[in-house]
This record gives sequence, C-alpha cells and structure tokens, in this order.
Amino acid sequence: MFPSRLRTGWWLSRILVLTAVLIGLSAVPTTAQTEVRPAALDYQLYTLDNGLTVILSEDHSTPIVHLQLVYHVGSKNERPGRTGFAHLFEHMMFKGSHNVRSDSHLSLISQVGGDGNGYTTEDTTTFLETVPAQYLPLVLWLEADRMATLRIDERTFEAEREVVKEERRWRYEDTPFGLLTELMYGQAYSVHPYKHSAIGSMEDLEAASVEDVQEFYDTYYVPENATLVLVGDFETPRALALVKQYFDRVQKARRPVPRDIEREPTQTEERRVTLTQSQNWPLPTVLVAHHITYDGHPDAYPLHIAAKVLSDGQSSRIYRRLVYENQLAVSAFGNGSLIEDPNLFYAVSVVQPGRTTTDSEKALIGELDRLKTELISEQELQQAKNQFARDYVFGRLTVEQKASHLAHAAVIHDDVTTVDAEFDVFMNVSREDVRRVAQTYFTKENRLILTILPQASVGRSFLRSGGSQ
Amino acid sequence: MKLAISQPVTIILLAFLLLVVSVPTVAQRSTDWPRESPPPPLPAKAATFPHYEIRNLDNGLQVVLVKHHEQPAVNLRLMIGAGSASDPEGKSGVAALTGQLLAQGTTDLGATEIAEKVDAVGGVLDVGAGTELSFVNVLVMTDSFEFGIDLVGDIARNPSFTQAEIDRQRQQVLSGLRVSYDDPGYLAGVVFGRLVYGEHPYGMPPNGTPESVQQITRDDLQAFHNAYYAPNNALLAVVGDIDVDEAFLEVERVFGDWAQKAMPAVREMEMLQPAHRVVVVDKPGSLQTAIRVGHVALPRVSPDYQAFDVAIKILGGEGGNRLGSVLRTERSLTYSASADFVSRRFGGDFMGKTETRSAATAEVLRLMVDEVARLRGERVSPRELENAQAYLAGSFPLAIETPNAIAAQVLESLLYGLDLDDLPRYPNRINQLTVNDIQQVTQMYLQPESLSIVLVGEASAFLSDLQAAGFKDVEVMSIEDLDLESVDF
Repeated sequence: MFPSRLRTGWWLSRILVLTAVLIGLSAVPTTAQTEVRPAALDYQLYTLDNGLTVILSEDHSTPIVHLQLVYHVGSKNERPGRTGFAHLFEHMMFKGSHNVRSDSHLSLISQVGGDGNGYTTEDTTTFLETVPAQYLPLVLWLEADRMATLRIDERTFEAEREVVKEERRWRYEDTPFGLLTELMYGQAYSVHPYKHSAIGSMEDLEAASVEDVQEFYDTYYVPENATLVLVGDFETPRALALVKQYFDRVQKARRPVPRDIEREPTQTEERRVTLTQSQNWPLPTVLVAHHITYDGHPDAYPLHIAAKVLSDGQSSRIYRRLVYENQLAVSAFGNGSLIEDPNLFYAVSVVQPGRTTTDSEKALIGELDRLKTELISEQELQQAKNQFARDYVFGRLTVEQKASHLAHAAVIHDDVTTVDAEFDVFMNVSREDVRRVAQTYFTKENRLILTILPQASVGRSFLRSGGSQ
Repeated sequence: MKLAISQPVTIILLAFLLLVVSVPTVAQRSTDWPRESPPPPLPAKAATFPHYEIRNLDNGLQVVLVKHHEQPAVNLRLMIGAGSASDPEGKSGVAALTGQLLAQGTTDLGATEIAEKVDAVGGVLDVGAGTELSFVNVLVMTDSFEFGIDLVGDIARNPSFTQAEIDRQRQQVLSGLRVSYDDPGYLAGVVFGRLVYGEHPYGMPPNGTPESVQQITRDDLQAFHNAYYAPNNALLAVVGDIDVDEAFLEVERVFGDWAQKAMPAVREMEMLQPAHRVVVVDKPGSLQTAIRVGHVALPRVSPDYQAFDVAIKILGGEGGNRLGSVLRTERSLTYSASADFVSRRFGGDFMGKTETRSAATAEVLRLMVDEVARLRGERVSPRELENAQAYLAGSFPLAIETPNAIAAQVLESLLYGLDLDDLPRYPNRINQLTVNDIQQVTQMYLQPESLSIVLVGEASAFLSDLQAAGFKDVEVMSIEDLDLESVDF
C-alpha cells in the first residue's frame, strides 16, 4: 500500500530470475503471422480551460474505475544537486492537502475497497487509484485537492526524506546488482539528466529543502502539465461533469512549464570502464550500451524488434548463444530503453562462474554486429511481430493497463492516437529496417563497455562443495 | 532501549498533536479552496462472481473453464498437487528442478524445439514448483489454442529428463543460489522457514541448497514425476477467449488417455509448537537489516482461517497495517513494513517483515514484537476492524477483473477442498466478523513470547543493542556456515 515504485525495478527482477529456463534454436519451423488483433480502445479526449488534459474510456466489463493522473515531470527535470527530488516530491503528495490529513489519502481509498499508489520515472510522475465504480467522485476529489492545495511542513518533509533514504538502501544499495542501472547511466551520459537515477544520491536527498518543494510544486504540479485518464465503468457525460466539477476550480499555471533539458552531445569514441563493487555484486557483469533515439522516432520500432530478436524468449539469439549453448552467462539479455529523450540500447551478461568477462563481451558484441551485417530471417521477423502482438494483447487486460497506454500515448508521444496506431507501425517493420537501425546505432564509437567486478576478497566458500566450474 | 508498551501510545499522541497544531510552511496555491468532506459515492453497482464451469474427466482431472472474450488470448494453467514439500529427505530442490526440466525436452520434442515453437507463435511458457504444487502455464493467442493445449499435455506427461539438460539446469540453479546467498531478503526468508517449521518439509528451502542440488540425480526427477504427475492429482484451468464446450473437447482429446496413478501416502507431519529463537545471519557491510518475526499458524481449511487472516491484515496488510503506521508513518524507520499469513494444507505461518538501517535494528525489532503482543493483548478497535473489512469486502470487484484472477480463486478452493459457494459470499463472510472473533483467534494462536526472529545484516552494528532491548540468547551465524538442510538447524 505504500506509494512509490521506481521504474528501474524490472531490471532487477529480470536479473534475479536466474532459474529461468534456457533454450536454444536449431531447426527452422515456418512461422505464420498471428491473425489476432486486439480491439482498439474507445476513448474521448478533452482539455479543460486550465489546461488539464482529460481522457475518458468507458469499459463496462467489471464495476470498477481506474484513475491515472500523470504529471509530465520526472527525474530528468531535476536541477543539478537535487537528484532524486522528483521521486521525493511524489512521496510528499501523500502528506496531506487542504481537506486531506497527512497519510490519509491511501486510507480513504482503502476504506472503500480501492488500491492507490504512485511512481516516478525519468520522464513522468504518476498517481493512480482503482476503486469500485461508485467511488469515482472520491478519487477525483482527492487528486484535485492535492493538485491545488498540497500542504507541507518542515517536520513532515524531513521525516519523509528518511523514508526515501531507506528505500534507496533497500532497493538499490543492499540488493544484489541493485546499482546496475545507476552505474551504467552514470558512465554512459555526460550532461543529460538521464545520467542520474530516479532515486537520486544520498547527498542530494540530504540537501533538498522545503523551499525546493514549493518551487517544484509551483513549476510542475499545474493542470497544463497533467493528464488525467479514467478507464472503467462510467457514463462519459457523467464522468466528464464530475471531472469538471473538481478540476475546473484548480487555478491555471502562472508561467509556462520549462522544458529546457540539456542535450547529450554525440559520443565520438568508445568508452571502456571497469568498476569494482565491494558489496552486493555476486558475479562479474558485462554491459554493452549504445546511445539510441527517443520513443516515437521512426527508428524506435525496428529497435524494439531488434531487442526481441536478441532476447525475447528462450530461442532468442542472446539467450541461445550466451546462456544455453556456450554457458557463458547465468543471465543475459538485451533491451532498447526507448523513452522521451534519446536513451540506451544495452546488452547485459551476468557471467557464469568459471567463465570470463572477455568471452561475454565478445559474444554480446558479436550478436550486435551480426544485426548489422546479416538480415534477420523472415522467421525471426515474424516471430518478433507475433511476440509484439502478444505483448499488446496481454498488456491491455486491466483498466490500469489500458489507462497506462492511453497516458503514455498522450504524454510521451503527445498524440493519443498512437495508442492504437503503433500496432500497424510494428507490423510494417521490415528486415532491412532492423539492419539499418543496427548500422546506425550499434557502432564502436557510440558504445560503452562497462565491466563490473565483485571485490576479489569476498568469500564464496559456501559453494566449496561445487558449483563453479 | 527502554521502550515500554506505553511509549508508542505517547508517541502517537505526540505525533497527532504536532500534526494538528503545526502550521504549514508551504502555502496552498488556491486561496479560495473550499473546506470540504469527501464526496458521497454514486449509486453502487452490483458485483457478482463471474460465471465459470468445472468439469471432470473420467481419469480424475478437474477442469476449470472461464470464458472471457475481451482479448483474443487464452491462458492454460495445469497445477500438480505436489511441490517442494514432497521433496525426498536430504534432497531439497527435486520438485523445483523437476518442474524446470519439463520445458527442457519431451520424448517428441527437444528443448530447442519447444522454445522455437512457443516463441514462433508469440506464446509464453512458464514452469516450476511451489511448496504444495507444481505448474505448467501457457499463454497463447486464440489462433494458437490447439498448439498451446498440445504443448501443456506433452510437457506435463512426457518429459525426457536428458542428462545434458539436467546438468545445464543444475548449473543455473547453483549460480542462482550464489546470487541468492548475497540477498538479505532471500536469506531471511529461508532461515525463517527453518526456524518456524523445523524439520517439516514446509521449512526446507524450495530451490534446495548448494549441497543438495549437487546430489539430485536423473532418477530423483523421474521418480518425482512418476509419483505425482497424474490426472487424479491435477487441476487444469482454461481461461479466456474460448467456447467452453469446444475447449472441453480439446481437453478430453489431449488428457483423456492420461492414466490415473495411486498417490504416495501423504507425509502428514505435525506442526512444531512455536519456540522462541533469535538468529542473526551476519552479513558484514550491509547498510540495512532484514527483519522477520513470526511463528506457525493454522492450516488453510481451519474454520478460524478468515478471522486470523483479518487479524494479520490489521497487523500488517491492506486495509490496516499497524506495522506500517508505527515504523514508517510515525518514525520513518523503514520504507516498507508488512505482515503476511501463508496457510497451507497442514499448517501455515504468519510473518512480520521489514528492512531498516542497521543502527535502528533493535528499536525496530522491539516495536515489531510489541505490536504482535498488542494484537494479542488488546482488543482491536471497532474502527480498525471496520476499515479492514471495508477494504477486504469492498475490493471484491477489483479481485474479479481478469479471467485469470477468477480462475486463481477457483483453483485455490479446489486445491484445498474449500466450499466453492463461498467465493461469491466472500464480502459477507468478511463483514460478519466481530471484534470478539478477532480477539478469540489472536488469543488462541498468537504466542508473542515464542516468536521466531531472523535478522540478516551487519551483526556488529546492533548485537549489543539487542541485549539492551531485551533480546537474550541471540545466535549469530555466518553465511559461510549456513547449513539450511541440517536436522537440528
């Protein structure tokens, strides 16, 4: 029931699924294109006078309603010396407003059988609630109250900062491989704020003040910087009237929302870095990361397909070569992080005991290079599209999932129609497109090779009866 | 550390006063914002448990069918009624490795072919084992339904257990354990299991230990499969975009000739009585301590299950969570504190859990133990019970949103032999509970003086504080010496 999850969490879970089954590829079966096509979402788009974007999507399958309020501010909007602040601020949004006592936001929701939460990414901060349908007025009232009248005192702020510090220790510092993304982004970027993690540094959390809270609130927590999505069992005219009842009275922003985020200069030569971690790094790890484009760019779709060919499923190339056939890695995968500003395409290997980081590095680079020199097979392309269709279908089962897709399209793409239109864009990606983007981005001068080693002195004697080769 | 029972009360009062009198330093943006109470709800809509069907094959396979046409996809879930609790003695990890090997080859298909076929249609295959069940889950889009059900049948019935694949998987498990032994949450969980359950199979590490996994042979896997994988020990759910009659015909085609087996006698072991122990697993360099506190509790079929579940939710679950209030909201000592009640065929356990900075370990442990004592010693307030009931009963419509969520509830009822008619009555059953019911079960089952306590962290940072906080006879273990299979753990 506690608010806050940071987007980087999935990384860890992926790495920790070390018992995942591992498989290779030999014969080449024919692959037919799946004929299924998910139903398009039905929605209405409005903008209130104060600038709030509103998206309403009726879904009468279950008598519940989901509210998602996305503020277009994340860790990439943080000032130098204030890393982690967007997330810390998200916590403060649960600390009371004009009509809501501190920490009672979530209990008011749970007392009607609902669930609520919040999370912060590099690009956005999202607040969400799912409640039985009749409680739509309650969640609208709660969100409008804190959008307009957040209440903060020094003592509350300092107390919550301690909670966030515990969160950093727990999720990142005291967990195996917990600092993986932080280390990678810290090395891959020079000036763009993607250089720092959403959780931020302990020093910066310590330096933050109540004055920062006020300034951040006035700058970013304004209606024109927010998108409200409702999906569930309601009648649109009635829901719109309720939205207007509670949100029309929120004042318009006094000044435009700043969008002056420093651009990352083009990387011109390969970076190679080796780090040693004394804690929570059980096995050597190799990362090969390339700078890529942003979400919505035409190259983004073939990059997603490339990621699927490399590592979706146990017949994918990286699994097959590094984990299954050659047993170089305990876990290995590749992913294109396509978000609002240009981010990274990275391939990772957690090295199998007894194997070398060099072998993993060669194998990862070999797989990335192969995408540049050979066309992927027709079968691989079709498979990736079928997997994409599956993600699309299974990613829209709940009202929360549907709202997330609508919000993402509206906020990050600034075009809600992409929520359905992207399906055809994916289906039209060609093998040549995949090769072209690989040739564009997977170059030597554009990459970071990061090796992270456990400190040699850390004892592993519990495995003395075997286990390493 | 001199935290008497009364002190938390004082601090709550103090916090409340501060909250009321402190003037916000940040002014609200909208000066004419009205003073209001939360708005009333709209007229309520009825939430009924969705339709499902249960049909049985002659060989005893129970089949749950849930039709749901919103998305063009089908989920197949086969559950086998045996998991790590049925591991042979001294060979922890057999059920888990057996489950894993299912996807690594059948008498017809090699591991690579299985992977290719699943990926080619954009499917997902998931196999494995829990404490009391093993499972095969397959997700496919509607046009691959026939492929999906054939696959479930083939891998559940005809695994080949080739030595090469066993060795590969064994290495993965060993490497996985190497990572897990560096994970405070994992260590705290497995040590807690041993303290609470002793030698009972529920307490053995489900994925085995570095030693036990080395000793598992092909014969062990084959024997486990032969013994437990049978239609009369299985449940199958077919969920999603299906026609129920057509889907059942397919089930008959694939599973109709699966032969029944006589099941091995169930190893019915008595639960241990709770016995107080405090074990510290020393993990030098840790910034936090992972804390687990609890003891054995009642089985899933107990008539007191529901009341005890609500009591533990008041301690640390949705709709309540005293631990969260005391440790996070009032004192900022943790990011997350909770309590869970896990209940199985022969017994269960409740466990409070949190992570806190090393220096606060003893203080947090004292507060957690005091909260368990308070739950037993004082009646919960009517307001607290109402809030928990409001959440648990009120969230019923959220719990029936997806066909999988529906099927999971039906499967749980079938697995434990519960009354299926209770599923739609869940909100009523919750709302009927009284403060007296809660007090009765907490007094009957909670033994605050006999708690099993596990602390994983930098021992030197808090050992002396533990003494001062009233925790004597603390046992300290190093990770290197941890022998999770030892009889007298």
